[in-house]
Amino acid sequence: MKINNLHLFIALATLFATACNLTKEVDIQLPDYERQPVVECYLEPGKPFRLLLSQSYSFFDPFGLDSTFLDKTLLSGATVTIAYNGQTDTLFNNLSLDFSPLKIFNYTGQNIVPATPGVEYTLAIRLPNGTAIAGSTTMLPLVPIDSVVVQFSPDIDTLARVLTYITDDRSTVNFYRRMLNYSSLDSFPEQDFLVSDRVVTSEKIAFGTGYELKEGDTVFNTIYHITPAFYDYVESYQLAVIGNANPFAQPSPIKSNVSGSGNPLGIFTCLVYQRDTTIVHR
Amino acid sequence: MFLLQTSDMKKLFSILICSTLFATLSAQQAATVSGVLTDAQTGETLIGASVEVLGLGKGNVSNEYGFYSFSFPVGTDSVALRFTYIGFATQIRKIKPTGNLKLNVSLRPEGAVLEEVVIKANVLKEKLKSTEMSVATLTTKEIKALPALFGEVDIIKILQLKPGFNAGSEGTTGLFVRGGGGDQNLIVLDEAVVYNANHLFGFFSTFNSDAVKDLKVYKGGFPAQYGGRLSSVIDVRMKEGNNQKFTGSGGLGLISSRLTLEGPIQKDKSSFIVSGRRTYADIITRQINKANKGKADYNPIPDYYFYDLNTKVNFTLSPRDHLYLSGYFGRDVFGFKNETFDFRFDWGNATGTARWNHVFGPKLFANTTFAYSDYQYNIKNTLQGFFFNLDSKVRDINTKVDFYYQLSNRHTMRFGISSTYHDFIAARLKAGSNDGQVSFNSGQTFNGMEYGSYFADEWAINARLKLSYGARLSAWQNAPAFYVNFEPRAAANFTLNKDWAVKASYARMNQYVHLLASSGLSLPTDIWYPSTEKVKPEVSDQVAIGTTYLINDKVLITWEGWYKWLQNQVDFIDGAELFGNDNLESQLTIGKGYAFSPLELEIEKKEGRLTGWIGYTLAWVKRGQYRDINNGNYFSPRFDTRHNISVVALYNLSPRWQITATWVYTSGNISWLPVGRVSIQGVPGEQFQPVVPVYSDRNTFRYPAYTRTDLGIVYKFRSKRLENDLTLSVYNTTDRRNPYFIFLEPELKDTQFPGVQIPDKITAKQVSLFPILPSLTWNFKF
Repeated sequence: MKINNLHLFIALATLFATACNLTKEVDIQLPDYERQPVVECYLEPGKPFRLLLSQSYSFFDPFGLDSTFLDKTLLSGATVTIAYNGQTDTLFNNLSLDFSPLKIFNYTGQNIVPATPGVEYTLAIRLPNGTAIAGSTTMLPLVPIDSVVVQFSPDIDTLARVLTYITDDRSTVNFYRRMLNYSSLDSFPEQDFLVSDRVVTSEKIAFGTGYELKEGDTVFNTIYHITPAFYDYVESYQLAVIGNANPFAQPSPIKSNVSGSGNPLGIFTCLVYQRDTTIVHR
Repeated sequence: MFLLQTSDMKKLFSILICSTLFATLSAQQAATVSGVLTDAQTGETLIGASVEVLGLGKGNVSNEYGFYSFSFPVGTDSVALRFTYIGFATQIRKIKPTGNLKLNVSLRPEGAVLEEVVIKANVLKEKLKSTEMSVATLTTKEIKALPALFGEVDIIKILQLKPGFNAGSEGTTGLFVRGGGGDQNLIVLDEAVVYNANHLFGFFSTFNSDAVKDLKVYKGGFPAQYGGRLSSVIDVRMKEGNNQKFTGSGGLGLISSRLTLEGPIQKDKSSFIVSGRRTYADIITRQINKANKGKADYNPIPDYYFYDLNTKVNFTLSPRDHLYLSGYFGRDVFGFKNETFDFRFDWGNATGTARWNHVFGPKLFANTTFAYSDYQYNIKNTLQGFFFNLDSKVRDINTKVDFYYQLSNRHTMRFGISSTYHDFIAARLKAGSNDGQVSFNSGQTFNGMEYGSYFADEWAINARLKLSYGARLSAWQNAPAFYVNFEPRAAANFTLNKDWAVKASYARMNQYVHLLASSGLSLPTDIWYPSTEKVKPEVSDQVAIGTTYLINDKVLITWEGWYKWLQNQVDFIDGAELFGNDNLESQLTIGKGYAFSPLELEIEKKEGRLTGWIGYTLAWVKRGQYRDINNGNYFSPRFDTRHNISVVALYNLSPRWQITATWVYTSGNISWLPVGRVSIQGVPGEQFQPVVPVYSDRNTFRYPAYTRTDLGIVYKFRSKRLENDLTLSVYNTTDRRNPYFIFLEPELKDTQFPGVQIPDKITAKQVSLFPILPSLTWNFKF
């Protein structure tokens, strides 16, 4: 979990700096950077094996104003395989879209990801330039949402909050990602944070919203049960974003769990989650 | 690496002890004159005042408690002692040393400019003759006259103008001394440790200059009585209060007001001082918020204020006993409240000191201290039935006894013991819903004991050579961790002639508490963390050589070269998770460091209408061998600025008018900027991240150089009841835009995919903190 309590101060300071014309554009020379392959592969039970293989950019390089940015960004011509349970699936270089919510993949397999916990998956990618990328992950058990409770405020009876309960297995260290979207999954998440069960005191964990919902509002509640590697990856890229804009924050390199001669960035993980959709009613 | 082995050090130390014992046996037949030097107008003790035997060229200085002692062979004819102190009229007292003599002397502040000239020249001579090197001193006159940001006089910011000190970033009270970290400064206020010596996220220091009597800063050659930090000692002494008459002083500034009251409780025997300071921006912002209440598009301005309070009383219990009680309490408060949201963030220090001075005899003086200090921050946040509380705390309870023994005129010895109980709460988090249905907790608590004992002797071997040697034995216990460390200290001064001396020093220091700072900038939420089995005590070894040359008794040129080795340096791993973590050590990594300067130069002029100094430091600072950072390779920390130049000038136009100016040039700070970027589409429900920076090796980019010119004008005048001065400060007179930080800003454009934006253009933006900032401060005394 993070705190962002200084952001208000920083926002005010930035406002002051802007008002006094204290921000200006400068020419700087960044160290040379060689583009890196970027892997995003979330193995979602019940969905096909699919993967997004793209490339990073030198910081100042634009995508370009035309619609060819996908060609410049996506990395084609690679050989991608995922091995599990003694079998190896090949993912073919086809562009596919998931529309709800919108996600893009450029490598897709023909089989469906099984939901069996404990299965180990191994990723192998051979890039067109002959370099390789490898990664591995293990399917985690689903941590189901026990219940979702709508409570109306005792002070303002038109406003409600939603409490979401899960049961944590205290015998192992678990990591969760809590995501909360209102109205649609494509909307900006109202909550998106990581939590380790090291900071909770009982096996019952509750996540809540504020008293900010009205009757008829739709709430998408998602609890991801995530691997430590995914936890570190998300944490690190969030810090990387914050570190660029906030002088008080320490930047972080992206902590990837893929490696190899291709010098890749990215994540290869299972995506085990339960999503509850609740419409607020009394 | 030029370092003596610890066993060699112990042998050398034994030899020196033996020679001192021999000196003890041969120094029995002497008469000693001793006493305390005070200010005749206020009764304040005078620290570092000179006592000189006229005609013999021998002398001594009063210690930090005003005590001095000097011996003569029995049978010596009458001699004349000259007592001098900066800004005070010289006194000459004739004595006939037939036996031990107690001679307390009160010096009267001198207004005549000519006298001041003579006295100041003596100060430079004392500096030349002393074994002390790597010392920075400031007078309150200098501190108060120099131009200041928002007109807020700040001791730490003036110190940053001295060679060897680095501010880290603009406007802050950060101190990075000779390549040391920001937490490696032992800051003591009346012998109590101040853990976080700043207000307003580092922009102002906690020291109210009205309450400060004396400041001494060591950046190397540390005396043995100090321990616990690696890179500097900043010893701040509060005023004791005027024991002659009731007086007051204060000031109205742009952002704060100050008031100090002092006076006798019982004339000549006891006195008090109370000094307070508070900012008042919140009073204005509250009115603005009130006037705009209810407007739909108005966002209320958060409350912010800080205040501090210094108090001290002292009592002369007997001719041999003096009791001092002093305290400091300061808080910063940042808050925001509306119907649904209540946020309060407060932080600050509290210290308390009880000190008993006892004169056992003409040669032996003791100071016994009980000190308490704490630093804590608390964040309390409630929002719609939920709360979020985060706090950290470090608390010390310290007991120590220091002895000062004037064995003979050739040996001044110090020895003592101390113990400190430390109590830590590290990032305690409690969050959840008010009804208890949602609950998160984390944080750690620790305690530890720190022990120290020391012995030191300043030995005038002959008229030209002085040796100061000693050692400190320190220990730390935080079960199951237990460490004992031997810390040798040595310094020598060889006077080539009356105007020229060469000096050398060596000091080893250990540090048992560490500040876990998530960035190069000081934040109140940085956490103090104790040494444990994994986090071993930090160690520094520093050698320095230098020479001091006095020109016409007016200008002192000091050159020093130094090298510092740092071990067991604590840093965060990349992407460390500081809060909500019950195992902070998993986020730490341990490495080494070094820093060196072949040229640290200071030219001081203390005489005449024009006074001031020029400082220049050429230095290199590196950290490395961290298993989890930069693959173990060495890198520059943020404050590795190659060239640092400062010019400070004070010019007396007339008794009423004074012009002051400072100019600083610093090579740019080091920064960690991204080299590349990726786009991350994330998991379902997550927004597409068009620009996620890719960071490569740490700290490879240097900001543009920093230059600033400040000017000040001081006008002094008398009104019916008050002595006044008006100080006009113009900070950043040339209105230069210095870089505070640089960030890379993408301009995004929509794509054919709904909700997906991509960067069209990326630019580097430099943010500066302060434009030209004039301010006017009115100071008064009655």
